[in-house]
Amino acid sequence: MFLAWNEVKQNKLRFALVVGVLLLVAYLVFFLSGLANGLQNMNRAGVDKRKADGIMLTEESDKNLQQSSFSKNDVKDLDGGTFAELGALNAIASAGDNSSGVAIFGLNPDEFIMPNVTEGKKFKETGEVIAADSLKDDGFKIGDTLKLSSSKEKLKIVGFTDDAKFNAAPILYGNMETFQKVRFAEAADMNKDRINAYVIKSKDLSKVKAGKDLEVVKTDDFIQNLPGYTEQNLTVTLMIYFLFVISAFIVAIFLYVLTIQKVSIFGVLKAEGISSGFLARSVIAQTSILAVAGVAIGLGLTILTGLFLPPAVPVAFNYLNMSLYGITLIIVSMIGALFSVLTIVKIDPLKAIGG
Amino acid sequence: MAVLELNDANKIFGSGNTTVEALKKTNFKAESGELIAIIGPSGSGKSTFLTVAGGLQQPTAGEVVINGKDMTGLNEKKRSNVRLHEIGFVLQTSNLVPFLTVRQQLQLLDKVKTGNLQGQALEHLLQTLGIDTLQNKLPSDLSGGQRQRVAIAKALYADPAIILADEPTASLDSDRAFEVMELLQRTTKENGKTTIVVTHDTRLIEYCDKVFNITDGNLKEMSKDGTEVQDAVEKARQ
Repeated sequence: MFLAWNEVKQNKLRFALVVGVLLLVAYLVFFLSGLANGLQNMNRAGVDKRKADGIMLTEESDKNLQQSSFSKNDVKDLDGGTFAELGALNAIASAGDNSSGVAIFGLNPDEFIMPNVTEGKKFKETGEVIAADSLKDDGFKIGDTLKLSSSKEKLKIVGFTDDAKFNAAPILYGNMETFQKVRFAEAADMNKDRINAYVIKSKDLSKVKAGKDLEVVKTDDFIQNLPGYTEQNLTVTLMIYFLFVISAFIVAIFLYVLTIQKVSIFGVLKAEGISSGFLARSVIAQTSILAVAGVAIGLGLTILTGLFLPPAVPVAFNYLNMSLYGITLIIVSMIGALFSVLTIVKIDPLKAIGG
Repeated sequence: MAVLELNDANKIFGSGNTTVEALKKTNFKAESGELIAIIGPSGSGKSTFLTVAGGLQQPTAGEVVINGKDMTGLNEKKRSNVRLHEIGFVLQTSNLVPFLTVRQQLQLLDKVKTGNLQGQALEHLLQTLGIDTLQNKLPSDLSGGQRQRVAIAKALYADPAIILADEPTASLDSDRAFEVMELLQRTTKENGKTTIVVTHDTRLIEYCDKVFNITDGNLKEMSKDGTEVQDAVEKARQ
């Protein structure tokens, strides 16, 4: 530490550059992790909020909510948990110049999936909806009448709720009848008992009996199967892992160059009897100083950036994840320093005494 | 008891037809309180002698005993430890760490071993070397002579039994060179050290108790007086 710290103090510019590169990598890692998390939320917030353990869908829907449609009458003796009916469809909603793709969810207000209201009031009449508060950013407000792309029905926003996104689309929550009118128009009466899914709360999902041609899917499985969800996650995660590899290389190269410059002085110190272990520990200590500084500044910058980001950017910071990534970066940097440690061990103290 | 002893030690490099015996079978003893000069042209085996005697490499055959410690069969780690505690090196090239101040050069040794000079003894050393006012300077702020004196301070600070100096006065003017030799002489006598100086400079021989000449790997003691030494130095210069 003595050697390491004094060298950093005497060569501020050189080490500031290393810290600079590390902090940029850390910044990118943290930002990407925020983005990964934000994208996940966009897809799953509406699902997470229901705090459900599973969902019952038709087998042929391939775990896709919109493709699942069945009649309540086909499912007899629901048992093993609490069940809530859910109808779902996608549409484009517009009010004046504002328009947005939305997911319309129909539900029964007395069942557990009924969302809380953060602004305005709950829907009462058919045609009234509670909207995702992200729609406010698009210019929608309470009292707006929404025209829908696929239906003559008009919906009215009476309130807003938070965390209401499903597969990146803001959700409009209304009662079952609202949903059925939008979905089936004149045929709504005939299809009164058609829903997309039963949302299930149950301590033991295996005890829930699926109806004929239906299957019970765990919430996690359901989320993984949201269109694009897994692909998106893998892409961002791959980028983060790649950054780990890159930062290991960067640290390895920088430290290796710095070590090579010091080969002669290390040789002299070894001739004088200072052990390789002492010198190696010094390089490791130096790496940890640089890595911790880089990661800490990167973290600070990320949080600062987060404060100024427009809401349209889907970034949500998960501090637990970020600290894990930060620690990984520091460990990976240490691994990069091992190269230099090997170099030090190999330095021949004999070279210090020239012919 | 001899502080440094080479018994039938030699060093052979290479193998087969291309072997070079850099150091022929050598017997050498240095007692405490002795200041010894070694003279030899480059390629004579001077460095080989210094590295074998200093425990930096093993002799091919024979044994090296440093302050009672037989170096035979010791691995680099153990030899490194013997060097740390028993030998102070003053090298031709500056052996200072470029990013440490004079004070920190010495403190570095505190990190790796105990028994270094403290208090008065340290003050005295720094004053004698004329570097007590330079303690917060970096090597790059010092002149060549100052750097060499700091290097000597570093070697003496650890209070070793043996001081091995490779051309310690090479970058010094005459006055400083004499001062450094006086200092080495004084520490050798007063503190009972054994000092071995490899040098080209005949003027320094006056300070030494014994003079050895090395040519083609043969180490031979010479009488200090007479022309023999002069000739050897002349040869070494060529």
